[in-house]
Amino acid sequence: MLWFLRGIRRGVVTTRYPRATDAWARQLPSPPAFRSRRLTPELAARLAESCTPGALRLEGSELVLDLGACTGCGDCLTAGDDAVVPSGEFELATSARDALIKRIPIGAEG
Amino acid sequence: MSTAVAAPLEALHRAARGVEVREGPDGTVVARLPEDELRLAVAAIAETNAARFADLFGAHEEDGVVARLVYALDSAGQYLIVEAAVTDQGHPPISDDEPAAFVEECELFEQVGIRPSGDRPLNRVLLPPGAENTFPLLDGGRRSAVPRELHAPHHVRGEAFEFPFGPVRAAGWESLYMGLVTTGEEVLDLYLFHWHKHRGLERRLQGLDPARALFLVERTEGLSAVALGVAYCRAVEAAGSVVTPHSAASTRMIALELERIYNHAQAVALLCQTTGLSVGQAQAEIALEQLLRVNLAAFGHRYLFGVVELGGVRRAPDAEALGSSLPAAVDSFRRAVRALLRTNSHVDRLEACGILSGDTARRLALVGPVARACGVDTDTRRDHPWHPAAAELGVATRTAGDVLARMEVMVAEVEESQRLILELLPEARTAVVDVPRNAGMGLGWAESPRGEALAFVSLDEQGRISRARLRPASVRNWRAFDDAARARNVFTDVPIIEASFWQTVAGFAR
Repeated sequence: MLWFLRGIRRGVVTTRYPRATDAWARQLPSPPAFRSRRLTPELAARLAESCTPGALRLEGSELVLDLGACTGCGDCLTAGDDAVVPSGEFELATSARDALIKRIPIGAEG
Repeated sequence: MSTAVAAPLEALHRAARGVEVREGPDGTVVARLPEDELRLAVAAIAETNAARFADLFGAHEEDGVVARLVYALDSAGQYLIVEAAVTDQGHPPISDDEPAAFVEECELFEQVGIRPSGDRPLNRVLLPPGAENTFPLLDGGRRSAVPRELHAPHHVRGEAFEFPFGPVRAAGWESLYMGLVTTGEEVLDLYLFHWHKHRGLERRLQGLDPARALFLVERTEGLSAVALGVAYCRAVEAAGSVVTPHSAASTRMIALELERIYNHAQAVALLCQTTGLSVGQAQAEIALEQLLRVNLAAFGHRYLFGVVELGGVRRAPDAEALGSSLPAAVDSFRRAVRALLRTNSHVDRLEACGILSGDTARRLALVGPVARACGVDTDTRRDHPWHPAAAELGVATRTAGDVLARMEVMVAEVEESQRLILELLPEARTAVVDVPRNAGMGLGWAESPRGEALAFVSLDEQGRISRARLRPASVRNWRAFDDAARARNVFTDVPIIEASFWQTVAGFAR
């Protein structure tokens, strides 16, 4: 009985997610986002090389990010200067594996 | 060399011939001896009662396979490494004189292909029990498995039957197979298979640059990411004769203690789940969530990944966030625990459940809260300090050796951890020194939430890893789980005992 009352007294602690995102979630590590214009072939090669989980690779004139392999470790943020920023995106679930592959053109406008 | 180191070394010199002793990095003492002296040396060291067995592993080196036994000389604050070039069937079983070494002896066969002499079977540790073909060794070679090898076969007769439990179990726990021999109520016998989780990480670390390898080390046992990371970094730093700045050591200590607090909160929540006290579980999990958010606010990661770096730390704690939010989170945990310990239906399930004796804990060289709850006063932070604040640490012990004693030790440690964090907070900074890339070897250690975590690295001429050995506390403590589960317990006690052990399968099957 005491535990029941203790539970009632504590009230609701769960949040309104996914109707509203919690403020603290903005601090979570997230996969990188790339500024195409600031990417050079050399920087892209360095980023692919520095990615320990192997989520980044070079394919021709594109940098390919596999969100299924990215752990949000932040190594590319350190290596990428201002060409790489945290995406803030953590809702990555998808029903198709291919949807987790992002292709970033190197040096493109936008 | 201190007198506390001298006792095991003198015993070693008396018992064995051809012993060469040298000072290793970071105060470690290394004794090399011929293979045929190994058995006598192990027996002599065991007799002194001055050395706690910590690890045994093998490495392929220029002169063949070298086996290394690591002993913790707790009263001297040093580690002793006994090494010998070994051959297959060339030495009697080390576990005859050092029973705690049995799991590592099995691993030695599965990693480097070396078996002790005689025909006594080993157990399967990393290999599936049904594997009857060849299996890969650390150097890329292959070795034939002994078909259906089992050290102590279980005979199930009469009214007893074997209940297979796992490897997929409820509540999202890790893959672990339990073979429970029972009459329906009492646990007569129990054995474990961890191999489903084995990821071959020690092999994968070979050939890597030490800085990049840290990424994998932190993920070897995610709930001990800081402890294993610190142990590994200290091993690499010892190999390069590097001393980290005091401010970086303080930051490492803070991250270690935060890791301890959230782990213990999670263990208490799991204890409530296994005793069916769902409101208590919810209260403990609320505290756990608060603690994980404290970690995020302080270091940018809920599980504290990426804090430690070779030569120091990558991130310093946000002192304001930590100082203001940690006491509230710990208070939330404290209130939940106070209510739990006043709940007879909960405490009754914990008392006299899963009892381990102090003798068993010492014989199996257990570590962490599991050992301390049996009256074994060992804590790597205090016994092998690398930060002056740890030398004054208050180490909580109990003597009952049951689930309640383990919970009480964890609860007491949370208070001490909070005290340490708040004391060290003003001096914690980001600081990194260069670690030279050269040949060498080193041993590192840290006290994880589960007990002593060890790491050994050997680097080649280019500074790449030629052998990395990770020994999380789980490797030591799972060894005693069947003893605890068998001790007059019933079927439904097993999950409670497992929660109080709070080991990880990932740490064992790395």
